[in-house]
Amino acid sequence: MMTLPMGIEHFLTMLLVAALPTGIWRIGAVFLARRLSNQSEVFEWVRFVATALLAGVVAKLLANPSGVLALAPLWGRMGAITLGFIAFMLCKRSVFVGVIVGEVIVITSVYMTAP
Amino acid sequence: MQKGGSNHTLSHWFPAFFIKGVRDSLGLPAWVVGASLVGVGPLAQSAGYSIDLAIASTLLVWAGPAQVLFFSGISAGMALPALAFVIGLSSMRFLPMTMALIPLLPMKDHSLPVQLTIGHMASVTVWAESLRRLPSIDERHRVSYYLGFGAGCIGLSMISTGLGFMLSSAVPQAFGAGLLFLTPIFFTCSIAAGARNAADWLAIASGLFLEPVLSAWMGPEFDLLILGLVGGTAAYLLKRRLKPHQGLFSS
Repeated sequence: MMTLPMGIEHFLTMLLVAALPTGIWRIGAVFLARRLSNQSEVFEWVRFVATALLAGVVAKLLANPSGVLALAPLWGRMGAITLGFIAFMLCKRSVFVGVIVGEVIVITSVYMTAP
Repeated sequence: MQKGGSNHTLSHWFPAFFIKGVRDSLGLPAWVVGASLVGVGPLAQSAGYSIDLAIASTLLVWAGPAQVLFFSGISAGMALPALAFVIGLSSMRFLPMTMALIPLLPMKDHSLPVQLTIGHMASVTVWAESLRRLPSIDERHRVSYYLGFGAGCIGLSMISTGLGFMLSSAVPQAFGAGLLFLTPIFFTCSIAAGARNAADWLAIASGLFLEPVLSAWMGPEFDLLILGLVGGTAAYLLKRRLKPHQGLFSS
């Protein structure tokens, strides 16, 4: 069997195992959308589906944190998202304020629970 | 400036709006998505991948959660077909997301490679910010603006992925947790920033609160698919009640 240099093997693995399974949805979307009129109500529905899916991704990332985010306790993650969101709404939906408040709380929670 | 009519791709290309897109992305969004991809660098390193492949993954995969899954899965020695399947499921959100962008962009004026580039650049950040920003931009300038915005986000994120790779042992753990928290907090603020009515809020709330129920009930594979369809359809039906003259099959 032919063996490939390590770099090329890694590159092909990344292409086939990560880039392709992700890109296929984006390519599919472009081809599906070409068949629809821009005024189609399908787009409205699809936008709601995407919004619900994204909010679901947020819940998943917080409930099953990966890597070092798992060092933040559950109250820290939930508190940070809730108070960050409240700060965001109170400050005329400022994404910047929401992100800062959430970050301060989650980082503090890691320090407070560190042994 | 040229006016209408011509089918030449060049007449639909506005460098000034491309630059404006790059500059707007560097206001905040590119920094946030860039920071959220710093964590990919150390993961790539522990998977035995080189720094240029870590950076290439940001350019070619362009999906933080998929990159995290890929490098963690490689480190854990997961079978490649299984890993590809898991990544494919986790990236399903790009189908509705990318589709929802398309009516905002005059795609038919552009060649297929440009259309596919538009699709490739759709990440949560680029998507949510585009839904918010594009409607206020003149239609013929939108593609140039979008491509600039996406290029700014991807370019800065490639730099940050490389930095993360080089600095992997120097980042304190609490700070590392903060970097990983950027994705959920920024996703939440981005989609909420564009919410205008009860239907939008229903879609967001159904995603946040049904996910734990569905994932406990049906396992971690297909829960997001069901959630998107149920929550999204419920929100769409509410929207139709608010605006009863429109329907999915009647124009």
